Amino acid sequence: MSDTAPNPVAISPTALGRAVNGQTAIDFIGRRKWGFGASLLLIVISIASLSIQGLNLGIDFAGGVSWDVPATNGFTIDDAEDVLADNGLSTEGARLQERSSDSTEFVKVQVGDQPAEVGAELRQQFADAAGVDVDEVNVSLVSASWGAEVTESAVRALVIFVILVAIYLSFRFEWRMAVAAIVAMLHDVVVAVGIYSLFQFIVTPPTVIAFLTILGYSLYDTVVVFDRVRENEARFAAQKPPYADVLNVSMNQVLMRSLNTSISSIVPVLSLLIIGAGVFGQATLSEFALALLIGMAVGAYSSIFIAVPLLGLLKANSSAWEGRNVPPAVGEALRDMVVRGDIGSRRTRAAAATARGDDVTDESADAAEPASVGTTPDSPTAKEAQSALKHQPRPRKKKRR
Amino acid sequence: MNPKRLWASMLIFVGVVGALLVVNIARDEHPALGLDLEGGVSVILAPDTEDATGEDLSFVRDLVRDQLESTGIAEPDVRVEGANVIVDLPGVRDQAEALEAVSVSGIVSLRPVLTCAGGTPDEAAGQSALPTLDGGTCIVGPSDATGEVFVRKSAGVDLVQGRWVVAVDLSNTGQNQWNALATQCYNGTAACPTTQLAIVLDDVIQSAPVVQTPNFPGSVQISGSFTEDEARSLADVLNRGAFPIQMVQERVETVSPTAGQDALNAAIISGLIGVALTLVYMTVYYRRLAVVIVAGLVVWAATVYLLATYVSQATNYAFTLAGATGVIVSIGITVDTYIVLFERLRDETRQGRSLANAAPRSFDATWKTILAANFIGLMSALILFWLSVGSVKGFALYVGITTICDLIVCWFFIRPAVLLFSRSRFANNGRAATGVTAPVGVPA
Repeated sequence: MSDTAPNPVAISPTALGRAVNGQTAIDFIGRRKWGFGASLLLIVISIASLSIQGLNLGIDFAGGVSWDVPATNGFTIDDAEDVLADNGLSTEGARLQERSSDSTEFVKVQVGDQPAEVGAELRQQFADAAGVDVDEVNVSLVSASWGAEVTESAVRALVIFVILVAIYLSFRFEWRMAVAAIVAMLHDVVVAVGIYSLFQFIVTPPTVIAFLTILGYSLYDTVVVFDRVRENEARFAAQKPPYADVLNVSMNQVLMRSLNTSISSIVPVLSLLIIGAGVFGQATLSEFALALLIGMAVGAYSSIFIAVPLLGLLKANSSAWEGRNVPPAVGEALRDMVVRGDIGSRRTRAAAATARGDDVTDESADAAEPASVGTTPDSPTAKEAQSALKHQPRPRKKKRR
Repeated sequence: MNPKRLWASMLIFVGVVGALLVVNIARDEHPALGLDLEGGVSVILAPDTEDATGEDLSFVRDLVRDQLESTGIAEPDVRVEGANVIVDLPGVRDQAEALEAVSVSGIVSLRPVLTCAGGTPDEAAGQSALPTLDGGTCIVGPSDATGEVFVRKSAGVDLVQGRWVVAVDLSNTGQNQWNALATQCYNGTAACPTTQLAIVLDDVIQSAPVVQTPNFPGSVQISGSFTEDEARSLADVLNRGAFPIQMVQERVETVSPTAGQDALNAAIISGLIGVALTLVYMTVYYRRLAVVIVAGLVVWAATVYLLATYVSQATNYAFTLAGATGVIVSIGITVDTYIVLFERLRDETRQGRSLANAAPRSFDATWKTILAANFIGLMSALILFWLSVGSVKGFALYVGITTICDLIVCWFFIRPAVLLFSRSRFANNGRAATGVTAPVGVPA
């Protein structure tokens, strides 16, 4: 900025400082190929893993084996856990309960899908551990408690949810934003499920529930970003900047919010995973926390690197914005726009850039009005600086198309 | 915008929440805990025939779950184990209550009515005398049509010309069976002289409508002098579908929690540590503004606790580990509400506005964003709650609760707090001390 402009804003020398002060100039749109590429890779890996090895379904989905071990001689849940551990069966996804009726007391041990011989083999071991005769340990196969019906109902709910969200977003924003937000959400589902398949994490009802939460979270995140985009659209529609500029400036403006939100969402979940599941050894917690962590990370990523660039693609040729022939501002010109919250027209941008001596080529700008180099008070830069402190011009009402 | 009104809004809100919390603690009420945290009672159902197939049992499992949910027992865990169906009920304390909740026998059959004027049934010909709901007795003939002729969950009540009618769809295979019976009764043949067809549940005649057409195209309308309640209970009978096999309650067991107090404690402790870490970060970042966040979160937590207590007492939806983690997730979304607002504040002040001027503008601008974003969360919660079953339903409920609390606290507490903060001397008009505007070149 020129020195004559009131209230000069110096750009922080450190990256952190720039981020914190809203002075970043990251060209998200120019780098969209990286985001799309990474996502494409993840999706391919996810689908491949799903089709090759599928999901590791827990007892509630796939059924399993159940032993009823009499607790008459003081057999406890901990003993049962030891027996499972000795046989290399993970207690994660297993369910152990003490049950008692009028006549008996026993420990019920349920584990996910295991070959039939495991049932018989462990029956003997449980009997030995409990000090009872092998006949007194009941073995039976357990069905899924989470039947196809539950899954169907959840899927149906999801489909209806997506349709309603699409309608709502189309009204509140526009249909292109709805499409971009929902594609980003579906991307999150595929990638999150893919990660579960790839690492063979066990899928339990908590996992499914966590994934359902993530869908809402993913959309939530995207809506906040899009809200800013729409606000900038409305403010600068009259000046017809390239749409990529609108997106880039909006993204840089909400970058810190996205980072902060991700940190404050992920830290409690990480704590659940590391302290709750790790230090306290509560395996049940890890089922949730893992799914949430994966979902949140993917959701935060997709709202920035999928939803917004996708919106750019959908609106690239819209007549309301300058077409693709104008290169989006990058580097200091972009930073300037972010800092001043002013996207402006091509002309002021080019002028501002030339004033600072950036080598941003923008042929269409000089044709209209040769930009003055220097820091005279009447240079566009100074004028812009002054206007940045006043209220923004009221946007012209857009015609509904 | 009058400071007095802002103070009033904030203090009244905090006062109400605080008072309710004190009442709650005094009465020792807390959210009811689910199966995984508190255990419950389990009812073991066994088929009374030898040849129950796995398919039959799975069918029974789904019927039992539906029925429990329709009677308000939330989040039962129902599964087939060996040849039995095991029904775990959260929050049920004694055997009698459990047995009553799982009284889910229910063979629905359709039998032609011979006479309701007394007489003795010819048992050899498969006739039997069955009681009606209003205490009479009718003799009904044999039939092999059961409730399976109806499409499950298709029955509904309707008000047609001022009278309650029950409408139900016929399944593809059921249509022929039903129509064969209906033709018999319509024509008043010897098998069905009264032209009435009885709908029998567990050997009690629920309704004996007169058949008025020999041919039903895919659905049946039953009209009579029903009260609304009668119509609804008949619809329930038709909706429960027919149990393919008769189930007998074998025994009741008490169940220890699978995750239990340890897991809940671990969740709470690690959750609190996580929140504390988040708040430390927020304090470093937002400096004095963090006062608003901490206060807001405390008020929010109290509100969530109150609502959760109330809802779980009123609806049977117990607080499970799923709910606990759901609440921990929503912390992030709640904090996000503040972040969206504060980032906006920083933007506005950076562009040269004073803090006192920027605060109301920022709130107005971000309130719309917060509403839109939270509306989506609320929508997902509502849809999941309406359309799904079991634990998903309970979880959706808690997501909804936390979202609503977020909005309430944002409007009644955060708004006045931020506006008052922005004018206070404590805020120092948004200088470095608040993290709103960092001194140039120094990372905040």
